[in-house]
Amino acid sequence: MKMLIETMKVDFKLQLRDFVVLFYSLIFPSLMLLIFGGMYGNLPSPFYGGFGTVDVMVPSFVGIVVAVNGIMNLPLTLVEYRDKKILKRLMATPLKPVYIIISQLVVNLIITIIGFLIVAVFGKLIFNLHFYGNVLLFIVAFLISTLSIFSIGFLIASFIRNSRVATTVANIIYFPMLFLSGATLPLETMPKFMLGIAKAVPLTYAVDLIKRTWLSSDIAWLDMGLSLSIDIFLLCAVTVVCFIISITQFKWYYD
Amino acid sequence: MNVIEVRNLKKYYGDVKAVDGISFEVNEGEIFGMVGPNGAGKTTTIECIEGLRKPDEGEIRVLDLNPQKDREKIYKLISIQLQETSYQDKIKVYEICEFFSSFYSNPLDYKKLLDKFGLHEFRNSYVMKLSGGQKQKLSILLALLPDPRIVFLDEITTGLDPKARREMWEMVKDLKKEGRVVFLTTHYMEEAEVLCDRVAIVDYGRIVALDTPEELVTKSGIDEMVSFEVDMIDVSKLREVKGVSVVNFKDGEVVLYGKGGDLLKGIVDYLNANRLTFRNLRTKKPNLEDTFLKLTGKKYEEEKDEDVN
Repeated sequence: MKMLIETMKVDFKLQLRDFVVLFYSLIFPSLMLLIFGGMYGNLPSPFYGGFGTVDVMVPSFVGIVVAVNGIMNLPLTLVEYRDKKILKRLMATPLKPVYIIISQLVVNLIITIIGFLIVAVFGKLIFNLHFYGNVLLFIVAFLISTLSIFSIGFLIASFIRNSRVATTVANIIYFPMLFLSGATLPLETMPKFMLGIAKAVPLTYAVDLIKRTWLSSDIAWLDMGLSLSIDIFLLCAVTVVCFIISITQFKWYYD
Repeated sequence: MNVIEVRNLKKYYGDVKAVDGISFEVNEGEIFGMVGPNGAGKTTTIECIEGLRKPDEGEIRVLDLNPQKDREKIYKLISIQLQETSYQDKIKVYEICEFFSSFYSNPLDYKKLLDKFGLHEFRNSYVMKLSGGQKQKLSILLALLPDPRIVFLDEITTGLDPKARREMWEMVKDLKKEGRVVFLTTHYMEEAEVLCDRVAIVDYGRIVALDTPEELVTKSGIDEMVSFEVDMIDVSKLREVKGVSVVNFKDGEVVLYGKGGDLLKGIVDYLNANRLTFRNLRTKKPNLEDTFLKLTGKKYEEEKDEDVN
């Protein structure tokens, strides 16, 4: 247990020294909120079914934070650790290798939570953000979403050997995901064709799930061809499949 | 007592026989070295012993443990420095020391080690800011934290400047004085000659010779070279001196080859007896590098810094 805590301490410190992590997790969502909140305010809007723009936007921004930690940060760190043979070096210590993975998952989860809290507090202070949901339900939705996106990151880390390739792949997945999942641009504005593409993006379901549980304790609410049960089913399926493949494929080092 | 026993170790990568039937023991209290050209199988062998690679065949015992099966036990007793590991760019020296210390129930005090290795003033620096020599010292420091009985050093001085290399050598000698067994690989023959109690010369995945550096050289039967300048000399008489095998005389310089403890004395006696004045008498004894060249029949590539294995 001591070793796990020490591992997390190191990983956490290192994450906080990484500009990309800091910017996209902690600053970027609030910046977006300032811009869009400044444009549209938080008065009830017919476009969002009577909810304020900020009230809809803040839970969506969870998607930005989850994705940067899960799709960029998690795999890039693991691939870097392997590329630099840090994992190999650690294999020759009494440290349990699985702690390295657990530490990455936990640390990225903590940063995701901090990132979300910052934008939420920001929203509350400046735009009088409302929460309409059930707290417990929201937390469960948050965890399911985070875990599923993190599992995709773990999958990337299992298949890509080289840090530079991993950075490219993570960017190629991350940025389109950001704009096609409803995390930044509302799905409500999208034409049918683009909505179809959005439905192929796992993050869409994570954003939808978080938004639902934020805006209503009545979980059947808001239908854009998505539903709570589909969200949960798909996210859980992604998590299970990605983790199983990753666990069998992940290499600590290459011979 | 043998601290390491390797029996008929084999490791193949496809058609490449990286290690092709290696057997040896390492004894308590010695610095054991493996030398050989790049790709000879040194790293594969050392990593099989460390438990980081799974042998295809053969048996390995380290302190009477199986490196594949007794992972957690063995890594409290042995410690390694990997060829070309780097650490996280933005981890500070003291942080990585604390991190590695946390793996062991009774680690050595890293602060004392930082002092000893002259890294104290860098304790708050990022690891990426350290020089190559300092990084290698840090690697050794981290390897020492468990107070290990055996330390494995893979190409510890590759890429270091001569001063840093000599500092490393002193550190390795200290490890031995502290009673630890050191297992090292190197492709610098001079390093093996200076440091190692016993040396295994490896080529194409096999051990071609294993002995103390002195014995390896002696057994190789390579001639000593003696040269001096002289105005006139009867070459055929010189050839009759005991131990001399080849004599060349050109432009007032004699270069001859021969062996035996009395070689030089015999030559000087001959020159004095015949009242020949000689200048610039020099001798060159064969070294491990000559031995290596003879045994493997190849030019040694000291310049290449990477082991492809």
